Amino acid sequence: MSEPDTHPPTHDEQHLHNDEELHATYGNTKYYVVFVALCLLTLCSFLTYFQWWDTHIPSNVSMAFMMAVSCAKALLVMLFFMHLLWEANWKWILTVPASMMSVFLLCMLIPDIGYRAEHYSNARWLHAPVPNEEAVEAATVEAATAPASH
Amino acid sequence: MSDSHHEHDSHVELEYHPALPMSLGKLCLWLFLSTEIMFFAALIGTYVVFRFGAPAGTWPAPHDVYLSEPLGAINTFVLICSSLTVVLSLEASRKNNTGHAKKWLMATFGLGCLFLGIKAFEYKEKFAHGIFPTKENRRLYDQPDVYYVSAVKQKLEKLRSEMTDEQKQQEVAHGLTRESLINTLMTGGVAHAARAATQSDNPIEAQAILDSLAYAIWHHEPSEYEATRLRNEQKAIKPKLAELESKLSDLEKQKTEVLAKLKEGSEGDNKLSDDEKRQLQVKQIGIMQDIAATDQDAKPMRERLAFIGVMLADDAHLLNHGVSHDQSWMELPFVIPSGNLWASTYFMLTGFHALHVVIGLIIFGLVMFATLDVSKSHYLENAGLYWHFVDLVWIFIFPMLYLF
Repeated sequence: MSEPDTHPPTHDEQHLHNDEELHATYGNTKYYVVFVALCLLTLCSFLTYFQWWDTHIPSNVSMAFMMAVSCAKALLVMLFFMHLLWEANWKWILTVPASMMSVFLLCMLIPDIGYRAEHYSNARWLHAPVPNEEAVEAATVEAATAPASH
Repeated sequence: MSDSHHEHDSHVELEYHPALPMSLGKLCLWLFLSTEIMFFAALIGTYVVFRFGAPAGTWPAPHDVYLSEPLGAINTFVLICSSLTVVLSLEASRKNNTGHAKKWLMATFGLGCLFLGIKAFEYKEKFAHGIFPTKENRRLYDQPDVYYVSAVKQKLEKLRSEMTDEQKQQEVAHGLTRESLINTLMTGGVAHAARAATQSDNPIEAQAILDSLAYAIWHHEPSEYEATRLRNEQKAIKPKLAELESKLSDLEKQKTEVLAKLKEGSEGDNKLSDDEKRQLQVKQIGIMQDIAATDQDAKPMRERLAFIGVMLADDAHLLNHGVSHDQSWMELPFVIPSGNLWASTYFMLTGFHALHVVIGLIIFGLVMFATLDVSKSHYLENAGLYWHFVDLVWIFIFPMLYLF
């Protein structure tokens, strides 16, 4: 009678074992299904290209829709193509801090760069690529009153 | 007892247990990918913040900067296909099916090359229109200001000095040679705009003059406003010029009369005295000074009318199409609000992404001709993870650059 194999499987073996189970259940079909889903989602985001979409859907809604579609596509790629669905919880240790840092990076740019136009003076607005109405009105009044003051 | 312990310890086999349930190669790749997440988040974040922080209506639409949405969508499809083929290659390799693994990997390589080809075509379109990664080489200006007017002037002077005699006489429109077009643009367009904008006390009016020049050179959407503005200007200048021309004509007549008197007075019986001659000569000088002054006043009007005439000819063909578009050989500088910021972020984002694609292709190229059996599956898995990440980045770049 041979001794039972008490030797713990190596981590590579565990990994391959998980994948083998996975393929025994689904094979490559899941990849084709994900591929079709990705194509359909790309088609959805491309709908925003057409004129009738522009005329019927507000731009903010359209942008939110496109980002939602992108997030769904990213999730599908990560979960299925990158195998994160079948990986252990280590995936959160590596990806969550990096993602949080990314959000911080973005947030740090908002006060100075994102809101830069909020602090424009009238003179700055007047020389902006597209001057705003208030600045134009102020400059017109100034131009009209300037000769009288001389 | 101590001996037995020692004997027992000598039989303990120490094993290395990594902290995470995966190979070191995969761990390193995931660590690398986490840094890549931050790298691309910074690039994409910068684009987003610039894009949404730009003053309303100033960020260029995709069409303004020669971006083709269908090409972007095709590139997205190509990358999705390549993500599928690389994962199929990995699965085939794990099953020891080397033939299929190689076939799918070659397909991935081909799709990666196709993506780069389409990207290169897009870049070529930008370069052809003077939109380059570095600001020094660009013909792109954010707003029509003195720097822009100066750039147009320099370009026109360069064109004029570099043209051969044959090129100068080449007809670009009915009755208009290259040389005459350049001269008209230089005098009635650029010189007029610079003069009128600097002389105007009203900043709005000054800006409108510069805007009008920028519009005549390049615009995305034709506007009836500019054509009407030029027609009104033409109507306003014509009577003023006619008045000056009439004055000039009168002065010329007076000058001829004075000259005739001087000529008659110097010969024959009706000789003029020295005082009379001097008086006539003083009068002649006065008339000639008036002629020069009037001509100086009339000259910019004639030049401006010539410019407006060229712009409004053939149902405002040149004005509606834009000089830069209609006469692309001129390669004139043009204005796109926030265009430079767009170009910098666009080339930075897509350039770094394309660089990652190139690196991915090199990684695939290294094993493409090897036997892709199960022993190579770890290599393929890591390469595939990297490739999927490149795909992920494009998934976010595509809507933001092409569809927002």
